[in-house]
Amino acid sequence: MRLAPFSVFAPDGADGGELFTRYFNHELNRQILQKVATKCYLPTNRLLLELLEKHPELKISFSTTGVFLEQARLYMPEVVDSFAALARTGRVEFLSETYYHSLSSLFTEQTEFEEQVKLHQAAIAPFCQKPSVFRNTEAMFSNDIAYWAECMGYKGIMAEGLDQMLGWRSPTYTYSVKNCSKIRALLRHYKLSDDIGYRFSQKSWNEWPLTAPKYARWLADTPGDCTNLFMDYETFGEHHWEDTGIFNFLRALPGEILKHPHLEFATPSEIAADVVPKGEVEAPSVISWADNERDTSAWLGNDMQRAAFSELTSLEKPIKELNDPDLLRTWRHLQNSDHLYYCCTKSLSDQDVHNYFSPYESPFESFINYMNVLQDLKAHVKKRQKK
Amino acid sequence: MRLAMLGWEFPPFISGGLGVHCYELTRRLAERGHQIDFFMPVSGKNVTSPHPSIRLIEVSPTVLSPYLTFTKKGKLANYGEGLLKAVEVYNALAAKMVAEENAKNPYSLVHAHDWLTAPGAQAAARLSRLPHVQTFHSTEFDRTSTPWDAIVRIERQAASDADLLIAVSKRTQDQLVSHLGANTGKIRVVYNGVDAGRYVSNGKPAMAIQTDGKPIVLFLGRLTEQKGPVQFLHAAKKVLEKRPDTLFFIAGTGELMPLLINLSIELGLTEHVRFLGFLPDDDQRRIYSIANVYVMPSTSEPFGITALEAMASGTPIIISKTSGVGEVVKSALKVDFWDIQGMAGKILAVLQYSSLRNSMTGMAPEDLRKLTWEKCAQETEAVYSEAVQKHHK
Repeated sequence: MRLAPFSVFAPDGADGGELFTRYFNHELNRQILQKVATKCYLPTNRLLLELLEKHPELKISFSTTGVFLEQARLYMPEVVDSFAALARTGRVEFLSETYYHSLSSLFTEQTEFEEQVKLHQAAIAPFCQKPSVFRNTEAMFSNDIAYWAECMGYKGIMAEGLDQMLGWRSPTYTYSVKNCSKIRALLRHYKLSDDIGYRFSQKSWNEWPLTAPKYARWLADTPGDCTNLFMDYETFGEHHWEDTGIFNFLRALPGEILKHPHLEFATPSEIAADVVPKGEVEAPSVISWADNERDTSAWLGNDMQRAAFSELTSLEKPIKELNDPDLLRTWRHLQNSDHLYYCCTKSLSDQDVHNYFSPYESPFESFINYMNVLQDLKAHVKKRQKK
Repeated sequence: MRLAMLGWEFPPFISGGLGVHCYELTRRLAERGHQIDFFMPVSGKNVTSPHPSIRLIEVSPTVLSPYLTFTKKGKLANYGEGLLKAVEVYNALAAKMVAEENAKNPYSLVHAHDWLTAPGAQAAARLSRLPHVQTFHSTEFDRTSTPWDAIVRIERQAASDADLLIAVSKRTQDQLVSHLGANTGKIRVVYNGVDAGRYVSNGKPAMAIQTDGKPIVLFLGRLTEQKGPVQFLHAAKKVLEKRPDTLFFIAGTGELMPLLINLSIELGLTEHVRFLGFLPDDDQRRIYSIANVYVMPSTSEPFGITALEAMASGTPIIISKTSGVGEVVKSALKVDFWDIQGMAGKILAVLQYSSLRNSMTGMAPEDLRKLTWEKCAQETEAVYSEAVQKHHK
């Protein structure tokens, strides 16, 4: 959800619903969704449906926010239909996450986090039964988050296969989690995932061009019980355009994988249920899959980000007390972690990634717009409280 | 190398970036082992050489501060009527003196700054068969929206004759190509620097101005169309709508002073705007450090050394997108000079959000480390070597 350029000089006096219209650039959001849907979601979903029909062994899982489904339903309903068609094959699983792609798992209280996860469960209900594997926003994971997921009844939780956490161990096994009893950690194999997600079209990469037989051979040669590949869906057609051969690669991959008799496809819930854990992982502080640091510094690394996050969280109580669904929804849309991501001021290589995704000229511009919106919302809430 | 450098001003006799650049550059070049004869007009001030390897040679008896003099006579307003004549005299004498000195003890090359000294360098280079390096700190097209043909002709000639051209930014490089017909292949971009150590905020400024803890927004520069002081006043008016306690300091002098005073009265800003006039170096440093934000709204700024000086003083900066310094600093907010509301919005945000100020000033040292006079001197030296090689081919 992109914000609209907000001017502190604009006249005020809007109600909760109008704030939602005012704060977000709905026209731009529509354009982006339609563009990416045309280049990525629709053609990739079509291809995956063909592949599922061709290979009865194939299994796939998705992790999508409630906001995405909401926007798709609004601007391009055929996108939602194409996911529904995939779900009907019975071999496609949807993971659980927060509805608003938020950092609500980091709030002091877990009320908001739980509410958003439940909202998301309702949003994906048309596609699947109650999901049994949880994937937090940006794969944020800690002992506490895993414990919370276990209490909520999840069998598995996705996390980054971080070297610092694993030490000498491999991400190709499942693990139990410190202070938890039953939940399994499913770890993303970042190297093999990023080979497709980042490096596929990099001509300077010494493995370029990556072919399906080669990649299948890498998978076959990887020791372990399970290899969790997890990448942006936009990998197919958006990060790598069609002319890089990414769709041909995807089309050939399942067949190539199945040529190796010891490889098979599985959904995350099957892995959580069937693969016996090889040990225990421990994350006393929150890890994620973002930036080189793989922690929360991509969103909360500088003063601006922490100040904005603090304003955001301080609004929870007064907004919930006002009991206005439009206002609550507006505040929740402002929780999208991207708003904070664009305020990141890291130097070195990560900044380039932030800049690539950011619609702002600089992190300062991004902060000013976001913070001005939050201040406006705060003023609005104060006014309503007085009434 | 033994260098003949033709300049127009040298501290304490300066009106802007040109003088600062010549002072810092010659000092660093001298420290790197070069001998420099710096030719300049007679200043009447007590200019002293900062290094034994730098000889200051005062040429002709004109005292002119070309970018400062103001009259009310239309096109000549920027410069004053006698300027072209004075430039001609200075350049003719300088060329002669360079040739004489060269006959006694040969130079490696002649280096000139701006159109003011270009003809002298050209003539000296021709007379003594020396390579000519020409730095453009600005072009006539930056300084005014109604360029003066006589000056454009001089700039065009210099751009065409010199062996190599130094532009203070990519923006200036583009101006040289598009307006002066320069050949891109012989332009080298060398950014200015700042001596950050001189500007460390000293906390307790000894100033007579009473501010009563009110936030201060600073403009510092010549009061000419190019520097955007009119836009600054209009933005001030917008800021005051939201924060009536803000003070706006305008440091500098120039032809627009009377107009700006009138405008501030018309806009009802007299209580909030202070005209400080031209500040000596010490006072400049104080004012940078007490300002809460520095604004450089130039319509066309080839570089903008003052932005670096403000950054080095620990002050967040807002600069126009049409500035060279914007190409190399990340810790700045950038605005379109014509976008008054956007400028006011950013000023307000900097005043309001301490986290924004901290993040900006926290990143400034990283920017400043890349922008030193040592680096500027090194890169200039590389241009010298290239020019000498090119000339002798």
